[in-house]
Amino acid sequence: MLETLNKPAVTKSLEKSDLIRLYTEMLRLRLLDQRMLTLQRQGRVGFYGTATGEEAAVIGSAYALDSDDWIFPALRQGGAALMRGYPLVEYISQCMGNSRDGTKGRQMPSHYCYRPANFVSWSSCIATQIPHAVGAAWAMKIQGHKNLAVAYMGDGATSEGDFHVAMNFAGVFKVPVIFFCQNNQWSISVNIKQQTASESIAIKAIAYGFHGSVVDGNDVLAVYSAMNNAVQQVRNGSGPVLIEAVTYRMGAHSSSDDPRMYRSDEEVEEWRKRDPVNRMLKNLEGQGYWSPQEQTDLEEKLNQEILDAVAEAEKTGPPPVESLFDDVFSELLPHLKEQRDSKL
Amino acid sequence: MAFEFRLPDIGEGVVEGEIIKWHVTPGQKVKEDDPLVEVMTDKATVMIPSPRKGTILETRGPEGGIVKVGAVLLTLDTGDVVAQVASAPAAEVSKAETSAKPAPESKSASGAKSLATPAVRKMAQDMGIDINQVNGTGAGGRVTREDLLGFGKKDAAHVHTPVAQPQQVAAAGVEEIPLRGLRKKIAEKMVQSKHQAPHYTYVDEVDMTDLVKLRNSAREIAAERGIKLTYLPFIMKAIVAGLKKYPLLNSSLDEAGGKILLKKYYNLGVGVATPEGLTVVVVKNADRKSVTDLAQEVDRLSEAARQNKVALEDLKGSTFTITSLGPLGGMFATPIINYPEVAIVGIHKIEQRPVVLDGQIVARDRMYMSLSFDHRVVDGAVGAEFCSYVKKFLENPALLFLQL
Repeated sequence: MLETLNKPAVTKSLEKSDLIRLYTEMLRLRLLDQRMLTLQRQGRVGFYGTATGEEAAVIGSAYALDSDDWIFPALRQGGAALMRGYPLVEYISQCMGNSRDGTKGRQMPSHYCYRPANFVSWSSCIATQIPHAVGAAWAMKIQGHKNLAVAYMGDGATSEGDFHVAMNFAGVFKVPVIFFCQNNQWSISVNIKQQTASESIAIKAIAYGFHGSVVDGNDVLAVYSAMNNAVQQVRNGSGPVLIEAVTYRMGAHSSSDDPRMYRSDEEVEEWRKRDPVNRMLKNLEGQGYWSPQEQTDLEEKLNQEILDAVAEAEKTGPPPVESLFDDVFSELLPHLKEQRDSKL
Repeated sequence: MAFEFRLPDIGEGVVEGEIIKWHVTPGQKVKEDDPLVEVMTDKATVMIPSPRKGTILETRGPEGGIVKVGAVLLTLDTGDVVAQVASAPAAEVSKAETSAKPAPESKSASGAKSLATPAVRKMAQDMGIDINQVNGTGAGGRVTREDLLGFGKKDAAHVHTPVAQPQQVAAAGVEEIPLRGLRKKIAEKMVQSKHQAPHYTYVDEVDMTDLVKLRNSAREIAAERGIKLTYLPFIMKAIVAGLKKYPLLNSSLDEAGGKILLKKYYNLGVGVATPEGLTVVVVKNADRKSVTDLAQEVDRLSEAARQNKVALEDLKGSTFTITSLGPLGGMFATPIINYPEVAIVGIHKIEQRPVVLDGQIVARDRMYMSLSFDHRVVDGAVGAEFCSYVKKFLENPALLFLQL
């Protein structure tokens, strides 16, 4: 039952340009995360969570999706939104809560959403997005749409009730959903060994009557291939799939966390050898697709884009005070109207 | 122009941080993102990079000092007068202004309503305080919980809290050291132990002559393997033998549950003096380690502790603690139990003392051993039996082989 979805993709095969695109997206995410964490330490951004070490899992999985598929992100999929067209300035503005933040400064920083790309707002509460994804996918099925939903999650989410409820519903109703678990070994300070007694996360799918697969989450091509196969299966109406991408959170859980308190430097160094960005770089070089000059140029270009976007975001003012009263009631209630009028 | 860099909230809702290390000094030139200072909050220790390029004018606060979030950490000459203002993020400037602006002297005179969260308003109501009389020190002049508590302490004559908290002036000839970090933890832990556990201390003298011989003969072989062999691992072995025979000594009391928890594992805490204060490192599963294993483990942990690099894992889970003053000696002590354990042993200097043996006065290597017990769990008789059992192993170390 537990199959590995590492067979070559059925329909989409990757060209050189795809490989370079995948690498570029991963590198952008890596550099952006570095810059954003620095801004956080300087007090220019309130909070930030990096995806460092998990770029292949984020980018490789999202690359296999169609533009009208829906993404229900967990906590580290901002790179997928960028790849699907989320403007960098808006991404950074979200972290600053300014007037170019689509959520008008009401969300926690580093918690993105981007409606044009069907990228749903993410929640710090663990696993709540999983039943949402199943519900949305179920609706797509009922309406006869051909698109699907992806529920991203971390390893910690698989211990939540929401995960099990969602898996069960998805299995029973054969909904077009892919459960994509980025098993990065650590749920803040809880190691995967303390998370589950199962031999893997993927194996849990069997209990719910559908396929689970394990993939090397630090190999972007393996992730893409696994996801691409899952997409074919799900679109063919054969029900949900669970993919466990085995990866590693190389940085802290968030800017508020200090992993030195609970894990060893040796462990991090061991995983650094499997750095997904570096692996893809080696792949490109090995195929003769990439030169040192191209690497330097790309880094420079991406860094400049990031710096420009930061500068632009910092020039942007806060959302207007009156917007505080928007978006809850279709028509403002009298006492709120009174409050608004007395303050503005 | 001088740019004031204020300590940002580097964790979520962190209120202050301790300056661990300055990486810059006044007069030094820095580039954007150069490391400025390492700050420890209750969540994480982080390096703060410079947000600007320029020359350091002033660093505020010594290493070890506490800085409030929002307080100026350092000032930087950015060398650029006009452009700097223009490029400064609007939000940052306005934030800096609000937090720098002193709260108005008298709120009631201006008739302005105080800003506060509902929880603080309710608290003011419960305390019988008119919140509009309180000067807020929070963001944008908000009245905080602390403002109310400070206000509550004033006399009833509606005296406004001064803008700045009055500096506590140290009495002449008295140096004040703030209680924090490890020192504070030790203080809390000791009070808890003395508070919860009725201690009694039992002292005995041990003849270490044979163990001294054994250790001296084994020292060389150990040294060849790069191991510094002290008496401690032998003592640990003897203690483990004692704990196995008297399981109550390797327990803790679950008062709420009305249970004594007997631990079936033997994790020995070892007190290590570090520059910051006493740290107890934990040698896990001491019963399954050889004398040389124990020696290496103690060596590794105490070195890590002294360098402040000990992993959290190595500070947790001890079931019984040994505190050794080593050659510093003293005769005996009354150790405080490492709560929630129920016993601790203090070991003292080994020295030659005259003793009567078979009617003769002879010089022997002797050592005092001070044990404190939690009388709720360990009665005097049990404590004494434990001590004499451990003593038997130390006086006749050949018996230790039975434990190997």
